[in-house]
Amino acid sequence: MDEELNNPKYEIPPEIQHQVAITTVDKIYNWSRRNSLWPMMFGLACCAVEMIGAAASRYDFSRFGMEVMRASPRQADVMIVSGTVTKKMIPTIVRLYNQMGEPKYVVAMGVCASSGGPFKEGYSVVPGVDRFIPVDVYIPGCPPTPQALLYGLMALQEKIDQQSIQTVRWYKKGDSSPIPIPVLGPDLMDPRDFDLIKRRAQENLQMEEQVSPTNIEEADSHVG
Amino acid sequence: MNGWGIIRGLGVTLRHFFGTYAEDLRRGKSRYFTKQGVRERSASTVRGIFTVQYPEEKLIIPEEFRYLPFLVYDELESGEKKIRCTSCGICAKVCPPQCIWIERTTDPVTGRPVPAPVAFYIDIDICMNCGFCAEYCPFDAIKMDHDFEIASYDRKAEHIYALEKLLKPAVYYQSIRPENFAREEASRMEKEAKTSSKS
Repeated sequence: MDEELNNPKYEIPPEIQHQVAITTVDKIYNWSRRNSLWPMMFGLACCAVEMIGAAASRYDFSRFGMEVMRASPRQADVMIVSGTVTKKMIPTIVRLYNQMGEPKYVVAMGVCASSGGPFKEGYSVVPGVDRFIPVDVYIPGCPPTPQALLYGLMALQEKIDQQSIQTVRWYKKGDSSPIPIPVLGPDLMDPRDFDLIKRRAQENLQMEEQVSPTNIEEADSHVG
Repeated sequence: MNGWGIIRGLGVTLRHFFGTYAEDLRRGKSRYFTKQGVRERSASTVRGIFTVQYPEEKLIIPEEFRYLPFLVYDELESGEKKIRCTSCGICAKVCPPQCIWIERTTDPVTGRPVPAPVAFYIDIDICMNCGFCAEYCPFDAIKMDHDFEIASYDRKAEHIYALEKLLKPAVYYQSIRPENFAREEASRMEKEAKTSSKS
């Protein structure tokens, strides 16, 4: 076992120093969690090709314990959002995220997943996947090279190292309700914003009533 | 014959497999964790397959590799930083995803613009690493960096680079792109000689 892991800040009597290992729950939890991060096998755009490259023998991220890519969200720990997130795709991504077993992590790979990138004002692209699901690590690059992706995944492992079982959100009391799945209609709508959307629509209706056609005619006649 | 192609394909895989270990046995550990070793193993003549042991060893980056833009400054003899950028805004205009934001300095006394940036922001989570800014800059002030280890946990706090974070010395630029640097210096010398001979 690692020296780092067996460092409990408790004094071990010298006669049993090499026979027992004492560690904290947090450390063993983080150690096992960080060394078996299985990514989910799904790619969205060109970044996916770099992700596949990072998984192949040249860069081989199973060296870090990301042993295999799982095709099922139930067996995956980390979701690598690799590529442009379109409005048509985000309901599926949110659904996949909800289906992943906790603890779950999200890596936004590439600028499109982080912020929309070159398509940030596009009519069909979500400007950043972090508007819907919580993102742990952002990796810039268009696309990030496999080495940059590996650096990002190592950053995720470091983040996991700093977590504590008492403060992580999946062991907290209270509801852990799934993220509501966005609705793709004429435009993308977040169910969390429905109240706001209704209120805005109401306000718009009232505004229209105030500036109704009869009022406009009256205004015109005054000007004329 | 049916299946001959599969057998031949398996043979190729097997040859790569044994090739990897044969070379390792012959050369020992000298091929690993050294720059020379990585160069040898990534050559086209190498036999077998290999994995880049990433955090310990990195692939040799070619000179024209580009990741994010940075601003070049010259260090004067007095130790002062002379930023090459004149805040002309050409890079911001050509930038396809529009990730550059520049503000020009104004003289506090006369109120006239001074050719230097007072603020320069690049949102690296929008930058698509195309290199147009470096291509179009008439003052060789913005160049593409080689550093790719920039992942972080917070996009808004850490991924919008301000002027201080973008500035890097010309010595650094020379170290990552020696050929480009030499070419640009030569053309600048030529231009200076021309202007001095005219006047």
